[in-house]
Amino acid sequence: MERRDRLNALAEELEERFAAWGRDPRPWPDDLFGELALRAFELQFEHVPVYREYCRRRGADPASVDGWRAVPPVPTAAFREVELTVAAPGPGDLVFRTSGTTRGGGRRGTHRVTHPDLYRAALRPPFARFVLGGSRGRAEAGRARAGGRPAGEGAGAGAEAIRDHRIGSLVTAFEEAPDSSLSFMCDDVLRTFGAPGSRQLAGESGPDAGAALAFAEGCAADGVPACLLATTLGLDAWLRELEAGGTSVELPAGSVIMDTGGAKGRDGLERDDVLRRARSALGVPPGRVVNELGMTELLSQRYGRVPGRPLLEGPPWLKTRVLDPTTLEPLPEGEAGVLCHVDLANAGSAVAVLTEDLGRMRGGALEWVGRSPGAPPRGCSLATAELLEARG
Amino acid sequence: MRGVPWHLPGLPGRDGRETEAGRTAAGASFRVPALSREDAEAVADEVRAAALEGRGRLATARVIEAAAAAAGRVADPSDPAGREAASTLSEELGWPSALAEETLSGMGRSWTEDALHRVVERELGGTAVLDGWTDEGAILPGRRRRASGPPLLFVVHAGNVPGVAVTAAIRGLLVRSGVLSRAPGSEPGLLACFARALTAEEPALGRSLATTWWPADGGEAAWDTWVKRAGKVVVYGGEEAVRGVRGRVPGDEDLVAYGPRLGVAVALPDASAGEAASALAADVCAYEQQGCVSPRLAYAVGSDPLELGRRLAEALEEEVARLPRPQPDEATAVAIRSARAEAEFAGLAGRDVHVLGGEGLAWTVVVGGEDPLLTLGLPRLVRVHGAAGVEELGRTLGPLEGRVQTVGYAGREGLPALADLAARLGACRIAPLGEVAWPPADWLHDGRPQLLPLLRWTEWE
Repeated sequence: MERRDRLNALAEELEERFAAWGRDPRPWPDDLFGELALRAFELQFEHVPVYREYCRRRGADPASVDGWRAVPPVPTAAFREVELTVAAPGPGDLVFRTSGTTRGGGRRGTHRVTHPDLYRAALRPPFARFVLGGSRGRAEAGRARAGGRPAGEGAGAGAEAIRDHRIGSLVTAFEEAPDSSLSFMCDDVLRTFGAPGSRQLAGESGPDAGAALAFAEGCAADGVPACLLATTLGLDAWLRELEAGGTSVELPAGSVIMDTGGAKGRDGLERDDVLRRARSALGVPPGRVVNELGMTELLSQRYGRVPGRPLLEGPPWLKTRVLDPTTLEPLPEGEAGVLCHVDLANAGSAVAVLTEDLGRMRGGALEWVGRSPGAPPRGCSLATAELLEARG
Repeated sequence: MRGVPWHLPGLPGRDGRETEAGRTAAGASFRVPALSREDAEAVADEVRAAALEGRGRLATARVIEAAAAAAGRVADPSDPAGREAASTLSEELGWPSALAEETLSGMGRSWTEDALHRVVERELGGTAVLDGWTDEGAILPGRRRRASGPPLLFVVHAGNVPGVAVTAAIRGLLVRSGVLSRAPGSEPGLLACFARALTAEEPALGRSLATTWWPADGGEAAWDTWVKRAGKVVVYGGEEAVRGVRGRVPGDEDLVAYGPRLGVAVALPDASAGEAASALAADVCAYEQQGCVSPRLAYAVGSDPLELGRRLAEALEEEVARLPRPQPDEATAVAIRSARAEAEFAGLAGRDVHVLGGEGLAWTVVVGGEDPLLTLGLPRLVRVHGAAGVEELGRTLGPLEGRVQTVGYAGREGLPALADLAARLGACRIAPLGEVAWPPADWLHDGRPQLLPLLRWTEWE
């Protein structure tokens, strides 16, 4: 079989299984996850020469890798240097880019997605379950199965989905930010799950406070529960505007907010403070603000409902290990280390990804501690970038 | 056993004094007294009075003798003071004790009586001008004059090589100032160890030195009081710290700032790659590459950079085997992994980049890469590049003008041209590899004399 055919076959099987979980969200047996992960690894080893060489240097190949935990993870830094794809690039690909970091010299990583349907199939059931609520799983399943259409063509295809939330997205639209995986996801769930009246609430330059207020007031007046999608930072900015204007809206019961990013310290925000203000300005209790953890390099997401540092749950096709950052040995439950994800939705790129995020496992769920801040300043010797910047 | 990280002569006794809690990056927690404005004034009064009393009673030669004796004990692992100092450094920095001892003994080479006399001799022609009126000496001959530092110097450490706080305090004592020091939060205890040893050696000098720590977002009473009382403020640290202190000091002439710089290493065409690599490895590993002299970039001039990189990798492995190094903290480990991954995948993608790395992230050598100036402040990570000749190297290093502390070299071919290049870059020194990490006691720190910027002069016409 040609490589694209083999990948297509795996992708189709995964889409089926993701959809089945959407209908019946039971855990997967470990051997099923392992078998699918190894199939993805074999494809990537065979058809991504850079990754093959990376594995060989570590003495790993399909013969020696005997389980998903042994799949050599691709460091996120690698996405800044190379495009990793099993299939040859094509015109229908999605090309997502990370934001540049100082550590990466300001360069942005690239994640090319050659199977957008697999991404849609991976993002919809978990969103339905963890954000909109478990009762949606059954109806959502059909949506995931209908995921073969490009975003924007799903209006008719979503007839079977229960559209009981009016979704408003404070995240820049995918049309405006075609390299943002978050924008793609928010657009997709808005179109897939949104009740009539769902709409974009952000322009090119960010959230549109006036539009967002009108949207919230509309939901309140019509008694339709709202689902707001926002970065924690964007949500914080909007809430501040509401407070400055002395405005508050009591969103209908059942309303929910999905915020992404923004744990303690990140972006200078205290997430609990944002949650308190969301309750006061919008009437949404902290338990109905769902924190999403996603990253450009992964096509699956985790979600958590608890204030503070929420414990993040994800679908059964995403497994996370906590490793010692120095030795990459696994750490016991409760100990913080660097996160290594194995995400079957990444079958077309890199199924195992070693991040620069720190976290720990608690009772099988993940507590995200934060993005590693980069090496702390030491002594009086600095990176040249800092030296040059300081002089400039 | 770790000693208390403060020494505050004149601190009023008070029941139930509040304390300030600190924690080093390596996780060692410590406590120091929280200073009120009155406390800070009382300490400044005592230190000033002791310094002025000392000027009348102790010859500078005696100051040198006492400071060298105290510092010598701190640097000597067989002395109880040295054991306390090494244990303090080791716990505060999370370093193996052998590394702390080696660092102290290396620093101690510039704290000997001979070394301190050399500094005074080189800059002032001897101690006479510090002790009274004289028309002799190396500078400003022909008229009677005397010189001393202000009665109070305030030295702020916001990050530096371990031991520099002691060096800075000694410089202050040499110019007969009382020294108030805000110790580095990374290793607050060493200067207090020195202060106790100094008190045992010469109590009046012990009372001329105060040291404590306060958090970056606190200590306002001490900041305000000590800046106001000090005739000059000296700061060691990164750009942000230097800027922060500059904002607190009214006049530029009252501030002496030592900001961040870096070291570069050059293997000239006739250098033996093996010998150059061994010497460079020693310079890289000294005090965990934290110094402004520490080499982070190496250039093979007219030779194969990959060969130099491979030899450097071997030498670093040997150096790490000789003296075990501390494990990196989480953030540092992640950053080293990231740097390695970028380089490795760039190489895998066909670019001319090679990464060589030791087990447990102990050391990393990256050879090649698009940006010949890219460095990261990571421990035992060196980037190696090639250059066809010294002229090309000059073009490469041009953007670093004014930011290079030391140019280290191996080989002789083209050395005069390299020395000229170092001067053009405003590098403070050019030194053989292997000696880069340990400048001589009387070096021009940041390109400046050590004592002259602290002095006030009076001429008798």
